[in-house]
Parts: sequence; structure tokens; C-alpha cells
Amino acid sequence: MTITTEPIDEAALLSQREISEGMGAVVYFLGMVRGTEGSETITGIEYEAFQRMAEHQFELIFQQMEKRWPIESVRLVHRVGVVKTNEPSLWVEVVAPHRGEAFAACQFLIDEMKRVVPIWKKTLIQP
Amino acid sequence: MTVTVHFYSYFKDLTGCEQVTETVDAGCTLGDLHRNLVARFPKLAAMERAMLIAVGVEYQPHSYVLKEGDEVSLFPPVQGG
Repeated sequence: MTITTEPIDEAALLSQREISEGMGAVVYFLGMVRGTEGSETITGIEYEAFQRMAEHQFELIFQQMEKRWPIESVRLVHRVGVVKTNEPSLWVEVVAPHRGEAFAACQFLIDEMKRVVPIWKKTLIQP
Repeated sequence: MTVTVHFYSYFKDLTGCEQVTETVDAGCTLGDLHRNLVARFPKLAAMERAMLIAVGVEYQPHSYVLKEGDEVSLFPPVQGG
């Protein structure tokens, strides 16, 4: 798990993928910065994190995932700082034996992140 | 004893600072500290129902009894992703 100001390098992340023979499902999720927020046009989102606590809360979520589903691995990258419109702010990979548990675990991770991981955003409105 | 209080996101704007050091009595709870902080920073009062409180890296209830050197964090609902 990484919280970084650097752009998310999807190609590099994919090249580092490790999956054992028993795994039949890999679910990816990308959170993208939309160009609009309500009726306003935005140029990006500025993310702020309480990094030490965010990393700890992500670890707690990963532990819950491992208890609930037979997942092999979870990888996650979250950007902080300014992320421009159309760029990803979040990249997630969940590897599991079957698609049902991979999708469910990924959904759980995102939902829990939005409930407990201390990251906030400020939309940057186009002047 | 003293504890440090950190503010995140727009709570920094509401208080005008990123952190403060508070002196509290032994046995003081997070709830007591919260009341002190709302009195000191009245703009926080409107956020009472939408405020999360952590000590260190864990969320804690208002009944948590503070210890010397605790790092308390106050922030609005989280919005990752």
C-alpha cells in the first residue's frame, strides 16, 4: 500500500503483478478525478491525508478482508496533493481464487476506505 | 498534563491553526477536551455531528481517558478515493 504525491504508474504496477496458480480472479479499480462536481467544472482535486493513520487504517481493512475472503493479495496506491482531471487518484488490485470474492473484497475495501481512512479532498474549481 | 491536538482538512480553516497544545487535568476524557476545544474555537460547534476524533492512529470514543503526551486529531468525515 502506498500513499504518494507521484502519478500512478499503471504499467509499472501491472508489471509487478504476482499471482499463484490457484488464483482465478484479479479485480482492478481505478478512482478517477471527474471534470465536474455538481454544476461546476473543476480542474482537479487536492487530496490531503493524515498519512500515518491512513496507512494504519488501510492495514486494518486489509486484515478484515483477509478474514472474510480467501484473497491472495491486495495492492493499493492513493495519490495525495493535486490530481488533475482525468487522472487516477486511486488504484486497487485484489487477487482471489474466484471473481465473486474478488469483487466483494474490492467493494468492501473502497466502502471502508470512504468510511474510516483519513484522506480528504478539496475540489479545484476552474476560474 | 499536556496533549497535542491536530486539525485536518477544513478544520484547520475553522480553527485557524494546524495544531494546539492543551493542558488538561488527570482523568480528562476526549469528551471533556472536545468541549474545551469548542469553547476555544466556536466555529467547531457547527461540526459537532460531523467530527471524527482519533488518538494516535486509532479512533476513540468520547469516554476515552487522556494520557500525558497523547496526540489527538480532529477532522471532518473522510473522503478518500
